[in-house]
Amino acid sequence: MARVVYDGVVKRFGEVAALRDFSLDIPDGEFMVFVGPSGSGKTTALRLIAGLETVTSGEIRVGEQVVNRLAPRDRDIAMVFQDYALYPQMTVFQNLAFSLKMRKMPRQEIERHVQHAADMLDIGKLLQRKPRELSGGQRQRVALGRALVREPKVFLMDEPLSNLDAKLRVQTRTEIKHLQEEIATTTIYVTHDQVEAMTMGDRVAVMNDGVLEQVGDTRTVYEHPANVFVAGFIGSPAMSFATVGATMRGDQLELRQGALSLTVASTQLPADGVPAEVVVGVRPEHAHLWSEGEGLVGPVSGRAEYVEMLGRETLIGVLCGDQQRFSVLADADTPVRPGHEVRFGIDPGRLYLFDPLTEQALTVL
Amino acid sequence: MTTNSRAQITLNYALIIACSLIAIYPLVGVVLASLYPSGTSSSPSGFALPPTFAWHNYVAAWDQGKFAASFTTSIIVAAVMVPASVVLSVVAGYAFATMHFRGSKVIFYLFILGLIIPTEATIVPLFYDVRALHLLDTYWALILLEVSGELAFGVFWMRAAFLSAPPSLLEAARIDGASSWQTMRKVMVPFARPAILTLAVLTFADSWNEFFLALVFTVSHTTAPAGLASFSGRYTTNIPLVSAGAVIVAVPILIVFIIFQREFMRGMLTGAVKG
Repeated sequence: MARVVYDGVVKRFGEVAALRDFSLDIPDGEFMVFVGPSGSGKTTALRLIAGLETVTSGEIRVGEQVVNRLAPRDRDIAMVFQDYALYPQMTVFQNLAFSLKMRKMPRQEIERHVQHAADMLDIGKLLQRKPRELSGGQRQRVALGRALVREPKVFLMDEPLSNLDAKLRVQTRTEIKHLQEEIATTTIYVTHDQVEAMTMGDRVAVMNDGVLEQVGDTRTVYEHPANVFVAGFIGSPAMSFATVGATMRGDQLELRQGALSLTVASTQLPADGVPAEVVVGVRPEHAHLWSEGEGLVGPVSGRAEYVEMLGRETLIGVLCGDQQRFSVLADADTPVRPGHEVRFGIDPGRLYLFDPLTEQALTVL
Repeated sequence: MTTNSRAQITLNYALIIACSLIAIYPLVGVVLASLYPSGTSSSPSGFALPPTFAWHNYVAAWDQGKFAASFTTSIIVAAVMVPASVVLSVVAGYAFATMHFRGSKVIFYLFILGLIIPTEATIVPLFYDVRALHLLDTYWALILLEVSGELAFGVFWMRAAFLSAPPSLLEAARIDGASSWQTMRKVMVPFARPAILTLAVLTFADSWNEFFLALVFTVSHTTAPAGLASFSGRYTTNIPLVSAGAVIVAVPILIVFIIFQREFMRGMLTGAVKG
């Protein structure tokens, strides 16, 4: 077990900067999730710890040791790959035993370790099978077992659930989370799936274009996104944004753009006020069809562009004026249909304001 | 495609049978010719059956072609040359596929050059080199020249085979603590086994069929195909005996191919179809 520190890490592939000035402190035993779209640098950040890529500048420490120049095998880390990377000619037992054998562990010790890992993952009956004789879910468990058996300082997982079907994915992510809590080994988990990130991580590092946009516990990242990117990436269905004019009227902030008009109590404005134009962000789950007396901020009027039945609820896409689009979550049995006029309101304290130039968060009203 | 029309299936079979006939025609022709009564006046042709089956042609060909000696040479050369060539190809192919070192591209292209330049073009300087090394008329002349000749294809072939492995397999082995050598031996060589066996079969066939080098560099160590030359007279050729000799020379390759045919097919298809 060990703390992992990135200190001003830069990684370039030729002219392309895959990671820019990346600094992050991951305490011992934490389950840290790197989340971001393709090309955000999350896998690169993971591979740098593994030693599969070399750092261009900056420093990576595992425990107290700077590992920049250490070979992968000297770093005492284990990795679960997206495609599992099981050795096809070896049995499950041999796959699990391989790293221990490389360390010249005595045979009886190896058997004990493999058996222990197999018991934890319930793959004891598969030990004599070859990877091609296993289902996707079983292969995934073997890949986890191969990492587990090492008892490493750090676990690295590179989208290990992306090849599983939806049901198995949900089941396995719970198992991985429990397993990590049980063994309490520092774990860095890479995913592009924000639901996976939110459900598994103690903390989440949101990345975009080689930059760490925000790091925090899941609630902080969801409720207080640092900028437009994080606000739009975290949360499903995604947050809606609209650029509007902002004017102070006494202690009220008036937000207006074409047909869209909203007035909110400006209790938590930044000390230097707000710019004349702001980006407002509203999560669909915080937008409700208008009903007097519920204390919602609004109403906002528009026309239903689409109505998507999600099962438990319905997602309504509302076009306000010419180009402001919002998503509203309504009951499953809502009578709203595409083309209908719709009025909706926003939960107080759930209207996000961002600076249109820097895209940084200003406040939540 | 889940259903094929009857016409489509018939057409497929017709094409396969036609191609097979074209491929098999000369082989059947040689076998039939080898059974015609011996003599320079004999003129077998195509699929025509011989008037009587002259099986004793094979005994005569074996004696006249001195195949006991030339087979021994071919076996000795192949027994050393095939393993040496395959091992060197595997090691070099692995390096080119998995390691980035200065000048790797240039060196690889130098190997590829060996595929392009025919042996005949270099035979004269090669002769003087071999003579300077005092290796003329020795097994080593054949072994060393054949190994160097095979390496061009072998390295190219093995590099492609190793490149077809998922990169994560190599990375997993590195993280698991394996050295480069261990990764090659324990992970990549088993992965590339079909390709390696295919290379061994092809190399054996090349070694066994060696004619030109044996003719130039050896006198007392004739290879099996070079032994066939003894059937050609200055003005006439005994076709049934040459054919019997050709069949005798081809049999070992046939046996090797039959033994390894399953692996051979897998090797040829490596990377061509999803596993």
